[in-house]
Amino acid sequence: MTMADDRRAVSGVPKAVEVSELTKVYTGNVRALDRLTLSVDTGTIYALLGPNGAGKTTTISILTTLISPTDGSARINGMDVVRDEKKVRCDIGVTFQEMILDDALTGRQVLTYHGRLYRMSRGDCTSRAKQLLELIDLGDAADRKCKTYSGGMKRRLELARALMTVPKVLFLDEPTLGLDPSGRAQIWKYIRSLVKDTGLTIFLTTHYLDEAHRLADRVGILDQGRLVAEGAPDQLIDELGVDTIVLRGSGSTDDLREKLQSLQFVETVSVVDDGLLIGVESSSRHLADVVSQASGSAFSIEDVSVSKPDLGAVFAKYTGHRLQNGDAS
Amino acid sequence: MTATINATLTIWNKHMRKFLMNGEELFGTMIQPVLWVALFGLGMKGVVGLGESSDSGNYIGFMLPGIVALSAMGGAIGGGMTWLDERVRGILKEYLVSPIPRASILLGNACSTVSKAAVQAIVIFLVGMLIGARPGGGMLDWLLAAALMIAYALGFTGLALSVASQTDDLMAYHAMIMLLNLPVLFLSNALYPLESLPGWMRIGAMANPTSYLVDGMRQLVLSEPGSSADFPLWLCVVIVLVFACAGLGLAARAISNKTTRR
Repeated sequence: MTMADDRRAVSGVPKAVEVSELTKVYTGNVRALDRLTLSVDTGTIYALLGPNGAGKTTTISILTTLISPTDGSARINGMDVVRDEKKVRCDIGVTFQEMILDDALTGRQVLTYHGRLYRMSRGDCTSRAKQLLELIDLGDAADRKCKTYSGGMKRRLELARALMTVPKVLFLDEPTLGLDPSGRAQIWKYIRSLVKDTGLTIFLTTHYLDEAHRLADRVGILDQGRLVAEGAPDQLIDELGVDTIVLRGSGSTDDLREKLQSLQFVETVSVVDDGLLIGVESSSRHLADVVSQASGSAFSIEDVSVSKPDLGAVFAKYTGHRLQNGDAS
Repeated sequence: MTATINATLTIWNKHMRKFLMNGEELFGTMIQPVLWVALFGLGMKGVVGLGESSDSGNYIGFMLPGIVALSAMGGAIGGGMTWLDERVRGILKEYLVSPIPRASILLGNACSTVSKAAVQAIVIFLVGMLIGARPGGGMLDWLLAAALMIAYALGFTGLALSVASQTDDLMAYHAMIMLLNLPVLFLSNALYPLESLPGWMRIGAMANPTSYLVDGMRQLVLSEPGSSADFPLWLCVVIVLVFACAGLGLAARAISNKTTRR
């Protein structure tokens, strides 16, 4: 028994997902993941948030046994994704970033064939498929070929397919990518009710801030293969603790940043792509002061905006990038 | 073992269901060999010296094994397309995250592809008999002929699956397969007797496994009184079996290449 095993034995139930120092280097020396460490408690939703190329899909691919890690380890319910791959595969459900469906089959057939692959009995397949098709409101379309489905219906069917085999941990890679606001809201509804009703653990990736905020118990912010921040969404926002004044413009921000940092009411200053984010106690009171500092500095302001603290501000603070919010409100 | 069988059967069942549900694929792959038998067979019977003395059945009977080979190939090409399609669509990923043994991905694809080829070959045989071929041979001859046909179909299945692993583009797959299509039939003894071919073509025909399937089938179930075989029957069996193994070997390598974790 290794020390890690001992620790788990002491603490009792293993975590639903436990990732330790996970590193993935693709051919051509592309470092997609750099010593990623995180864990997810059973029965919670964890959202991995990050821009495209941050390593989200690589993380999911390793956790779902599609690719091997270069270094580090990952466990699902205590089972190693490399050594115990078969047990892991029995325990997980997955939806992929791309829409992956057999267009030539009906919705019901997609579900039953999936169940058969996992050696569910014919009877179980039939009843489980029926139940899931009702749950995701596809009962009427169940016997139509998938090629006639809308994007939202396909996504829902994929979700049902992932749930078909009653997984313990569900992995959703960008579950609402390409959906319109009502389609996204519907998927969210199902995801939330799943966790509430069944105690399932869900690990999802997204680049939509609102999605992470609304769904997740915990959020990890991934940037260039590294976890730069982690916590409950509200906790992360509270830590920011302040309103954010966003200055966009051109020129060097160095001297302006120094000036701002010396001011008493300024709590944080961070540099992003095209300007500065300034955390202040109250934006309404201090906006004029902040803007006036810019005159005489090398930075010329083109746009000023104020945002109440949200996950976007958290994201920008930790990654130095601003992430577009989802279309849905 | 039972896990492999279960997953193989599930994949096979799914592919066959898609095949039978898809009228276009069924009709499209079937129509070409039927046209061959009907148009080419009936047209050529007067040109080729065979059967002058007899009735029209002779040339149809003569070319029927070649058309069976062609339709087996058509089935194999369709099977390769299914594999390519599932790979490009990402359905392969659905298999890869599931706990099925990796071998069942190859086996399921091979089984469904061979089944498609066999369905087509049987239909062609019936059409040929309708038009005038008069097969002979006993029960055992028929069984051996069927086994030979399935082995040949396996060989082509392997080729089609491995070619379909080389590209992600359906057009490129078709272009590569079409390269094989013509010589398989024309560079063989399928449409004309081996001795009537010019020397270099005869060498080509002897290097083509189709010739051995055709000759074997002729000897077993379509022999005309007085016609002579090109090869001994045992050689036909051996060559077709070697072809089957070689094809499947290629497919196994190509598919395991696509299903190995990196």
